Amino acid sequence: MQNSILNNQAFYNLTPIAIELVDFINDGEDARHFRFRLPSPQSIDKPEPGQFFMLSVPGAGEAPFTFTVTPNDQGVFRALVRKMGEVTTALFQCQPGDILGIRGPFGKGWPVNALANKKILMVAGGCGLAPLAGLIDQLITSHHHKHLALVYGARNRALQMLNPERLRWQQELSLFDVLEDTGSTQASTEENHILEGTPLDAMDSVLRTLDWTPDTLLLCGPEVMMSAAAKNFIQRGLSAQAIWLSIERRMHCAVGLCGHCYLSEHHLAHHYVCKDGPTYRWDHLQPPEKN
Amino acid sequence: MTVQVTPTICPFCGVGCGIDLRTENNKLISVEPQLDHPVSRGQLCTKGWNSAYGIDPINRITHPLIRTAQGFRQASWDEALETIADGLKQILVESGPQATGIISSARATNEDNYAAQKLARAVLKTNNVDHCARICHSPTVAGLSQTLGSGAMTNSAADLLETDLILVFGADPTENHSILGGHIMRAHLEGTKLIVADPRCTRLAKLADSHLQLKLGSNIALLNAMVKTILDNGWQDKKFLDQRCEGLEQLTASVANALEGVEETTGISLPEIESAAKAYSQSKRAMILYGMGITQYVSGTNNVIALSNLALICGQIGREGTGVNPLRGQNNVQGACDMGCLPNVYPGYQKVDNPEARAKFSQYWKTEVPEHPGLTSMGMTKATLAGEFRGLILFGEDPVVTDPDQNLVKRAFSKLDLLVVAELTMTDTARMADVVLPAASFAEKSGTFTNCERRVQHVQQALPPVGEARTDWQWLAAIAQQLGSDQLDWHDSEAVFREITQITPNYSAMNYTKIDQLQGLQWPCNHETPEGTAILHKDTFPIGKARLIPVHPIDIDELADNEYPLLLTTNRLHFHYGCGSMTRKSPLLERETPAGLLFINPADANDLGVTHRSAVGIRSRRGYVETRAMLTDDLPPGLVCMPYHFREAPSNQLTNTAQDPLTKMPELKACAVSVQPLEPGMSPRPIDEISALKVEGVK
Amino acid sequence: MKTQSYYLDHPNTLRNHLAKSYQIEPPEADSAKSTPPLISPKGQLFAEHENLFTFDGECFRETLPKPAPFVLFGVQSCDLTAIHYQDQFFANDPYYQARRQQALLIGIDCLSPCQQGFCPSVDAGPGVKNETADMILHQLSATSWLLLVCNKKGLNALEGLLLNPANESEFTDRDNRIASCVEQFNDDSYLQQGITAINQNQVPEELWQQLGIQCLSCSGCTNLCPTCSCYGTWERQDSNGDIRRQRFWDSCLYESFQREASQHNPTEEAGERVKRFWTHKFGDNFAQEFGRYGCVGCGRCEQTCPGVVGVHSVMKRIASDAKLDT
Repeated sequence: MQNSILNNQAFYNLTPIAIELVDFINDGEDARHFRFRLPSPQSIDKPEPGQFFMLSVPGAGEAPFTFTVTPNDQGVFRALVRKMGEVTTALFQCQPGDILGIRGPFGKGWPVNALANKKILMVAGGCGLAPLAGLIDQLITSHHHKHLALVYGARNRALQMLNPERLRWQQELSLFDVLEDTGSTQASTEENHILEGTPLDAMDSVLRTLDWTPDTLLLCGPEVMMSAAAKNFIQRGLSAQAIWLSIERRMHCAVGLCGHCYLSEHHLAHHYVCKDGPTYRWDHLQPPEKN
Repeated sequence: MTVQVTPTICPFCGVGCGIDLRTENNKLISVEPQLDHPVSRGQLCTKGWNSAYGIDPINRITHPLIRTAQGFRQASWDEALETIADGLKQILVESGPQATGIISSARATNEDNYAAQKLARAVLKTNNVDHCARICHSPTVAGLSQTLGSGAMTNSAADLLETDLILVFGADPTENHSILGGHIMRAHLEGTKLIVADPRCTRLAKLADSHLQLKLGSNIALLNAMVKTILDNGWQDKKFLDQRCEGLEQLTASVANALEGVEETTGISLPEIESAAKAYSQSKRAMILYGMGITQYVSGTNNVIALSNLALICGQIGREGTGVNPLRGQNNVQGACDMGCLPNVYPGYQKVDNPEARAKFSQYWKTEVPEHPGLTSMGMTKATLAGEFRGLILFGEDPVVTDPDQNLVKRAFSKLDLLVVAELTMTDTARMADVVLPAASFAEKSGTFTNCERRVQHVQQALPPVGEARTDWQWLAAIAQQLGSDQLDWHDSEAVFREITQITPNYSAMNYTKIDQLQGLQWPCNHETPEGTAILHKDTFPIGKARLIPVHPIDIDELADNEYPLLLTTNRLHFHYGCGSMTRKSPLLERETPAGLLFINPADANDLGVTHRSAVGIRSRRGYVETRAMLTDDLPPGLVCMPYHFREAPSNQLTNTAQDPLTKMPELKACAVSVQPLEPGMSPRPIDEISALKVEGVK
Repeated sequence: MKTQSYYLDHPNTLRNHLAKSYQIEPPEADSAKSTPPLISPKGQLFAEHENLFTFDGECFRETLPKPAPFVLFGVQSCDLTAIHYQDQFFANDPYYQARRQQALLIGIDCLSPCQQGFCPSVDAGPGVKNETADMILHQLSATSWLLLVCNKKGLNALEGLLLNPANESEFTDRDNRIASCVEQFNDDSYLQQGITAINQNQVPEELWQQLGIQCLSCSGCTNLCPTCSCYGTWERQDSNGDIRRQRFWDSCLYESFQREASQHNPTEEAGERVKRFWTHKFGDNFAQEFGRYGCVGCGRCEQTCPGVVGVHSVMKRIASDAKLDT
C-alpha cells in the first residue's frame, strides 16, 4: 500500500463532478424533491438503493443525501432534501440550471438479495423515508419480495414527505401513515386511515391489519425510533438478523478519512458509517455476548 | 518553502500564553504553543489554537474607507488622514478639546495605548481617553487601590501550583482564562483545596471541594458573613492585622449583624459559610481569584473591597500562593490601564488631578496637558447625546456589540460629527464610522502586551500587514502629524517603549532585550527590582498599611417581578472572545455553538414549554433578542444566562445600565427578563432582522 | 535491500549534502536531537490547511499540492512510527501521497528517554525501525555518528557523499545502546492496565464523564498527536470569485464534531468524546486494522492538555480506578 505512485492507483476522489439542477417540487414543509442531471449516466457507478452521495453546493459545502430515484439513461436522478443547515439552505436558494457537484455513490445499501421472498415491514420516520424510497420502487417493480408494508411516521401532516410517491405506492403495498399530531380534523384522519402517535404506538394496530406476519424489518429515521422499533420486534419474536437499519451521521469525506461519522458504541468504535454503513444489521450493532 | 517560526504572545485573554507563529512565504500556516513559556508551558486554549483564523486576510479591511451617501469608498491614507484632521480641527475650534476623545483598545499593545493617550492629552488636549476596562475591571482598580494601593493581580500564575487553597469567586477561569483554569484543575488534582463561589455551576464548581452557589448579587453578604465568622472564631491573622492593616475596629463593627438572615440572602447555609471561612483562614497559603462576577454589579467596587477585607484579615496576601487576584479579560487590559488609557490617570497610575503629576507630564511632553479628568466611554456616549461631544477615535473595540445598552451607544455614535474606527474587520461599530482605518493584527506588528500577572511580554511581527494596514501607534502618529504635532514621531515600537519606561515608574527598568532574555518582566520593574516582581505587597503596601473598609450589601438594581420573572446573568464561552470578530472566523469555533444561546434550567424550560436547542425570545425592559435555548442544570431555577459574543443576539440589548456609582461600571451581571418559546421549527432571528421589523412597523 | 552502514562525523555533513537537492525540514542546523519537538512533522504530510479543489462556476478542479522534494531530518522513532501509521491510513489520499512521495525520512535513534515519552511500551522506539525511515542517524560519540541506510531511496539520496563503511559490530552495539535506553524509562505499568481496561470496556462511564468535565475541547491533543487525522472542510471565495474547498485539522473532542444539521448529536456528552479519543488510540479493533495502536508514546497530549487529561493522567486514573474496584 505504501510508496504508491500517484498516477496508477485508485485514489479517493475528493473533487466532485459537476451536475445540473434540473428542477424541483415542494414536497412537505421545508422539503423539496430535486431532480439533477449527470453529464452522462456513466459519470458515476450505478447506485444500489440505500447508498448515498455527497452533494456539493458551491460556497456552502457538502452533505450526504440518498438517491430516491437512481440515474436513468439520461443521467437524471432525484433526491429529497429537507432544509436544515447551511448546505440545504443554500441548496434551496438554487435555481434550475445551476451547477452543483456530486461524489459517490458511497456506503452499503439495503440488503436486496436478502429480501427475496421476504415479508417485509418498513418503518420510516420523517426524512427517513427518503433512503427507503428507491428500494420500495425497486421492489414493487421486481416483485422480488413476498409482502411489503410501510409504516410512515411524521410529526404532523405538513411534515409528511414524498406525497406523490406515497399515493402511488398505496396501490402496490400496505401503507400506514402515522402522525404525532393529527390536527383537529378527526374525520379526515379516519377517512385517510391515518393512525395517531409514533409508528411504534401504531404497531399493534398495523400488525392486526396485515394478514401476514413480517419476517424482515427495515428501519430508517431518528435513532431513538429505530432502536425502539428494533427492540419491540425482537420482543415480538423477530430475529435480530432480520432487522436492518440505516444510520445518519455528519460526514465530510464519505471515504473513511475525515473521521466524523464514527459509531461511538465501544465494539464498533473503528466503524465509519460512510464505509461500513449506512445500512447495518441490528445484531451487528449489538455488543458481542459475553462468554 | 521558507518556513519561519516567530515567537509571540496570544492575542486573546489576559493570561498571555506564548505562541509560535509558523509562516511560509508570508502566510500563516499554523499556530503552536511554546513549550518553555513561563505561564502556558506548552498549552493553549481552543481560542489560542484557532488564532490563525482570526487574522486571515479574507474579510480583513485592507484600505482606508471613507463614508459617502452611497456607503464606504476606498481612500488613500493621505485623504483619510486629511479628512480626520479636518474634522478634528473643526470640532476643536468650534467646541473645544472636551468635544473630542479616544477609546483605545485592551487588545492593542502598550505602545499603541501609550500613543493613544498621548494623542489625546498632548495633542488634542483632552483627558477624554478610556477603554473597555470600564466594563470589566474598573471596580478592581478603584477598590484595590483604596485597600491595597494597587489594582493589579497581587500574585502570579505560578502561585496556583504553590498554594494550599484556591477560592474562585465570581469567575469562570476554565472558560475565560483557560490555561489558568487548567492550572487550578491541576493544583486541585494534586491536593490543593478548591472552593468556588458562583451562582452558576461552572466547570470548576463541578470539580471543587465546595461550591458556594450563592444567589445572584449576594457577594457582599456572603463575604461579610465569612469575615464575621472568622473574627468570631479568632481565625484571623492577628499579627498581620496589627502590623500591616488599619481599620479593623470599624470593620468588626460593620459586620456585627452579618450573619443575620444571611442564609436567606445568599442561599448558603451557615455551616457551609463556616466551613469555607475556616478553610480559607486556616490554610497556610490561600489564594483568591475573581472575575466579573464580582465587578459587573452596581456594588462592583464594594464587592472588590469585601474580597480584599477577607484576604487582609487572614493575612493571605504578600506571600507565595496567596493574594487577591483579578482575572483580567483582555490580552492587554492590564497594559492599557498601565499606559493611562483612563480619563483620570496618566501612565503608571499617576493621577491627572495631582498637580505634580500634571507638571511632570507637561514638562516631559513639553506641552501643557489638560487639567480636568476626562470622560469615561459611557460619559462620552452621554455627552454625545447631550450634544457636547462630537469627535471620537476608536480602535480594536466593538462597543456597539459589547457595551451595555447598545441601543444608546448606537444612537450616540450615529450622532457624532466624526467617528474614526481602526479595525481588522468590519465590525458593527466600524459600519457606523465616517472613516475606517485598516489596522495591523497582532501577528503583523511588534510591541508589548502586559498580562494579568503584570508580565510585560514581547509581541513580535511574523507577517507583513495585509494591504495598507498600519500598526495603531503608527496611524495615531500620522493623525498627530496631520494636526501639526511631532509628539508621536517615533522611529519604531522600541522607541515608543523607551519613552514609556522613562515616564512610567513601574516600567522604568524594562527594555526589549531584557524582556526577551527573561521571558517577560513583571512590574514593578525599577532600579530596586531590575528583574521584576512576582509577588506584590511582600513587606509593605504602596499606601503603607492596607485599609480594611466596611462595605454593606447592596441589592441588584433590577429584581425579578411578574412581568420579567427570570434573572439574567451573562457569561463567556470557552470558544469565543469578546464580540467574536476574531474567533467567529474559525470554522471550528463557529460550528461549536449556535449564534446566540440562552442557558436555562430544565425546570424553568419545562414551565415555559421550551425544549433543548429550540428557539426562544428573551425580553427585558430595554430590548428583545432571540436565541437557542440550552437546557442545563448548571443554572439554578429562576436564573438564565447568556454569553455576549454574538452580534445576532447581543445580551447587551437586554442588560441593565445601572452603574457602580464610583466607577460607572454597569450592572451587566443581573437584570430581569422574560423568556418565551418561539414556534416549533423556527430559527432565532438575528437582531438586525428584528430591528428592521420594528422600523417597518413604525412606518 | 540489506541495511548499509557508514560512519559520519556529524549530522550536518549529511544535511549539507542533502540540501543540494532537497528542502530540509526543520530548516535550522543542529536540529538532530534525541528529544522529539513539541510539534511533530505531521503537518508536512497531512497539511493543517489543504486546498482540495476549486470551482469556477462550471467545473470542479482538483488542486493537488506539488511540493519540491524535501527531507524530514532527524525525526525520532515515535514520529516515524506515526508517519508509517498515517501512510496506511492515507494510502488512498492523493493530497497526502503527493507530499509523501516527495519526502525523504532521516530518522534518529533516541538514546535517553524524554520527559513524557513511553515509546517502548507501545513498540514505537526509542530506536528507529528500518521500515519507517530511509536513513537512520545514531550517535556514537561527540564526534562520531553511525548512518544506516535502510532502502534504495536512501541510498540514492546519499550518492555523491563519500563515507567510510562501518564495522558489522556497530549493529550489535547500537542494539545494546537502545536496549539500555529502554531500561531507563519509568515504570508505566498503569499504561498496560489502562489499555486492558479500555479494551475490555471496563472503564466506568462515571470516570469518562469526570474526565469529560476536565476536557476543555481545546483541540491541543488532536493537533499535536502525530497520528490524529480527522479533518473538517469549508469553502472560501477567492478574489476572482472562484470557490475553493479547504480541509483543516478537526478534533473529535469538539462538541460539534458529530452534531448534525438537525441538531442531533450522537456524542453530545464530553465523556463520550473523551472515551472515543482514547478508544481510538488504544483500541484493539484499530490495532488489528493498522498493525499497531494509534498511540506512538510521544506523550505530547500530556504536555499540552490544560485539563490534565493527557495520556499519563488518564491512564493513571483508569488504572487506579480499576484497582479500587478489585
